[in-house]
Amino acid sequence: MIQSRRYKVFRFTMLVLVVLFLVLPIVWMVLAAFKTNVDIYDVAKTIAFMPTLENFTKVFAQGNFGAYIINSSVVALSATAASLVLGVPAAFAMSRFVMNKSALVVLMARVIPGISLLVPWYYIFSNLRLVGSLWVLILSHMFVSLPLIVYIMMGFFDGLPLEIEESGLVDGLTHIGAFWHLMVPLSRGGMATAGILSFIFSWNNFMFALVLSGSSTKTLPVAIYDFIGYASIDWGALMAASTVVTVPIMVIALFTQRYIVAGLTAGATKG
Amino acid sequence: MTSAVTTRAAQRDALSHWANKHRRWLFALPAMTFIVCLIAFPVVWTAWLSLTDASGSVRAESTFVGLKNYGDILTDTHRFWPAVGRTISFTVVVLFFEMLFGLGIALLLWRPFRGEKWVRIAILMPLVATPVAVGMMWRLIFDPSIGPVNRLLVAVGIPAQPWLAGEFTALPTTMFMDIWQWTPMVTLILLAGLTSLSDEPQEAARVDGASGWQTLRWITLPMLRPTLIVALLLRGIDALKTFDILIAAKGKGGGSFNEVETLNLYAYGLSFDYNEYALSSTVLILFFVIIVTCIFLLTRKREESAS
Amino acid sequence: MSMVSRRAVLAAAGGLVAAATVGCSANTGGGDSGGSTTVKVTMANHVWTENVKKAIPEFEKASGLKIEITQLAEDQLSDQYNVKLNAGTSEIDVMMYRPLQEGRLFAQNKYFADLTSKAKADATWNLADFQAAPIAATTYQGKVVGVPIITEREVLYYRKDLLQKAGLSVPKTLDELQAAAKAIKAANPDVAGFVARTSKSPAVTQFSSFLYSMGGDWVDASGKAAVNSDAAKKAYAFYGGLIKNYGPANVSTDMSWPEAMAIFTQGKAAFYTEADSLYKNATDPAKSKVADTVGFAVFPAGPAGSKPYNIPSWALGINDASKNQANAWKFILWATSKEQTLAQQKGGIPGARTSVWADADGTSSYPKDLAEAIAASTKGGVDHDRPIVAQVVKAREAVGQPIVDSIKGSDVTASVETAVKAFQAVLDTEKK
Repeated sequence: MIQSRRYKVFRFTMLVLVVLFLVLPIVWMVLAAFKTNVDIYDVAKTIAFMPTLENFTKVFAQGNFGAYIINSSVVALSATAASLVLGVPAAFAMSRFVMNKSALVVLMARVIPGISLLVPWYYIFSNLRLVGSLWVLILSHMFVSLPLIVYIMMGFFDGLPLEIEESGLVDGLTHIGAFWHLMVPLSRGGMATAGILSFIFSWNNFMFALVLSGSSTKTLPVAIYDFIGYASIDWGALMAASTVVTVPIMVIALFTQRYIVAGLTAGATKG
Repeated sequence: MTSAVTTRAAQRDALSHWANKHRRWLFALPAMTFIVCLIAFPVVWTAWLSLTDASGSVRAESTFVGLKNYGDILTDTHRFWPAVGRTISFTVVVLFFEMLFGLGIALLLWRPFRGEKWVRIAILMPLVATPVAVGMMWRLIFDPSIGPVNRLLVAVGIPAQPWLAGEFTALPTTMFMDIWQWTPMVTLILLAGLTSLSDEPQEAARVDGASGWQTLRWITLPMLRPTLIVALLLRGIDALKTFDILIAAKGKGGGSFNEVETLNLYAYGLSFDYNEYALSSTVLILFFVIIVTCIFLLTRKREESAS
Repeated sequence: MSMVSRRAVLAAAGGLVAAATVGCSANTGGGDSGGSTTVKVTMANHVWTENVKKAIPEFEKASGLKIEITQLAEDQLSDQYNVKLNAGTSEIDVMMYRPLQEGRLFAQNKYFADLTSKAKADATWNLADFQAAPIAATTYQGKVVGVPIITEREVLYYRKDLLQKAGLSVPKTLDELQAAAKAIKAANPDVAGFVARTSKSPAVTQFSSFLYSMGGDWVDASGKAAVNSDAAKKAYAFYGGLIKNYGPANVSTDMSWPEAMAIFTQGKAAFYTEADSLYKNATDPAKSKVADTVGFAVFPAGPAGSKPYNIPSWALGINDASKNQANAWKFILWATSKEQTLAQQKGGIPGARTSVWADADGTSSYPKDLAEAIAASTKGGVDHDRPIVAQVVKAREAVGQPIVDSIKGSDVTASVETAVKAFQAVLDTEKK
């Protein structure tokens, strides 16, 4: 497609606006992390202010953030990986065989409001002596990730033509072989998208971790709330903690974002 | 020795044959079993509670009251029906804008260009920020007396607005916050769908002399339909259940006049503030029914587009 | 195998292995046998908690016990208790709770262990040393279920500089307060005369002192809802009027103490009625722009005198389902001992022990006028700052509605009628 110059200028302007709109509030938040509480309220000091590291010192001294980061990472990675393992084949089956009722069952997991799960789950898991372990966090996060992955992949598989599988069969692959060797590589873009979204949801999940985690398995969002004190709202520290929470996941996003559009190779095969 | 090997090979073949024949359920069952196991008990428990008068403590004595709770809730025009109204209006508005902007941005990002890596990273940022912290951040930004937004408005001569503090401006402000945070998710899903589309039809249209708009409307969008519906479905369900930003913005009860109280917040308040577990379960079941109805209508569309 | 799926499988395997190892160790760490040497304490974010955490290592050395702390913000703590206590957990041994907010409900649901015999057994610790009103709030049906650790009274925060500039003296009555607020607001256009909590539920406690000082209360002598009495109507109108007429412009009706405190500490208000336990937010230069010109005074008198509340805001209790109650009690004995209470009081936390209040050393770190205000408030203080019921949240919302309506300028008479009906409905459904 030949892109006209007008279109290029238009696109550039729009993208700049979009980026500013999405990024400015976060920039503001990160700036606030370097201000004292008094300065945060003072609008005159929005850009010109004396930066301080005291908020970050508070964050790292008070909270055991290294451990929380590890907890959040392990839980998010495991839940996402496990959900991919269970979800991608399921999505494929549901797409090829139009299993609408089953798809609905999977969707139910996402539909159920979290509150109705809290007490029953706590009851079951505490009787199984799993409360406070990472297992229960992974399971509860998988519960949220699985429908997301299944549905995104279903939409993806719906768009892939049947000829691919058929050509694989002609070449001597079994159905399962065709799935594994042809369809899965082609859906890398979809898996990357679904995987990233699932990871993000898991990372930021708060409700389940609040109730089901133990003091050694606490995750980051719960730790952030530690800064909302009875005796003050320590905005500086809160913003610093939020920044700390966001940085690891931004780094991960940085490295994986190119997989999001990896579907380009899929396009080449079809063309 | 040979016979053992042949038997093993034969067994492997039989297994493979069996697996391929039953691949439909082999693929789908693990996921479904997992979901059903975790969901069964809570759903039954919630349904049961909604038929009792449990309050104060879940383990306390409670009596079976049949459908009385449903009657009470469905005739409650003070809290329940307004909450339903707010839930629906919130969802419809944010979905509309998120799909619109999401599609627009996805189209802009479709073809490669210089610096696209940075744009993609920028797009991920609102998504990645912890919702709870984001809610707090917006609360400060929109603060009527000391927040930057009002300061900016006043500096250009527009009167200061109450934003989150105003009885009628609170809900729209939270809609804005939601659109800011979740448009990127729609963008990502649609982008993934766009890049998986084959180029042929669009090339053909271009050769035939169709304009950009025409190609978009008649070729691209229809091909994108399955993905659009997925995005609509996933984002729609989440929007109906929005919780984090509303609580962070207005606290429990959705403000002194319940101005942002949606069904999810109402059920939460019934459960955690009033300890009215039976009523809370009733609201949850009704909420569930509403969501399922919406999904039903949408999946009908998916079936149509699959054919 | 494509790159992504191989990676996925490895990640899954690695994640599961890591999770299994950590999961196992978390499980073996938990104490579930009677008399485990690990005591699980759940605490709220509060300066008290910060102080006690510093002293805990010394306790652990002396007693040989290990203290495992779970610390959360107030609201999250409430929700946690709700879920866990409802499920009958034994994962909590000692809990920090609010006697007036959840005490009655928890006691009714039998979440508390009966501490009466333990409390009376130790003469050095001395149950009788605790002030009457706080202990009454942690006693249910004659049984001691908790030990109060933090007490609160409502005082008047004010700006010495603004008062001096206007040539006024510290208001001693509510009418003087109103006049002063009016004068200062007129003289300083972008400073409000008065600020206070405005959110329906949080404002109830700070409004209560106004109610009592006007001669009213939540219920009358026979226990019926009394928020439509003349005194109550006057109080609602007065409180709302102060904020509507002399409060900040465009005031939000969702301000709890953080927002109201922010307005005061940013120098945008002259007077602020609030709990004394939050005073550090106003006197700490890192948190407050007006730190060096803040003054404290006794709650101004209304027609019925100066009647601020004097309540225990937090107490420690033991989970009845805990399997470690003996050791849990040891922790409480130490944390509420005379020595610890004195240390806490010095650290800025008003406690509930008479002997500690008698010791001038305890309030030596407080601003002088605050210490005086507190002493005066302890004498005539009312022992509750909200309706005494189990369904506290519902009750607060019912009686708090007229406050918000009054701030908005609506008719108070109509509003209190609705409120009294709603509140009476709550009282009627209270379990005896």
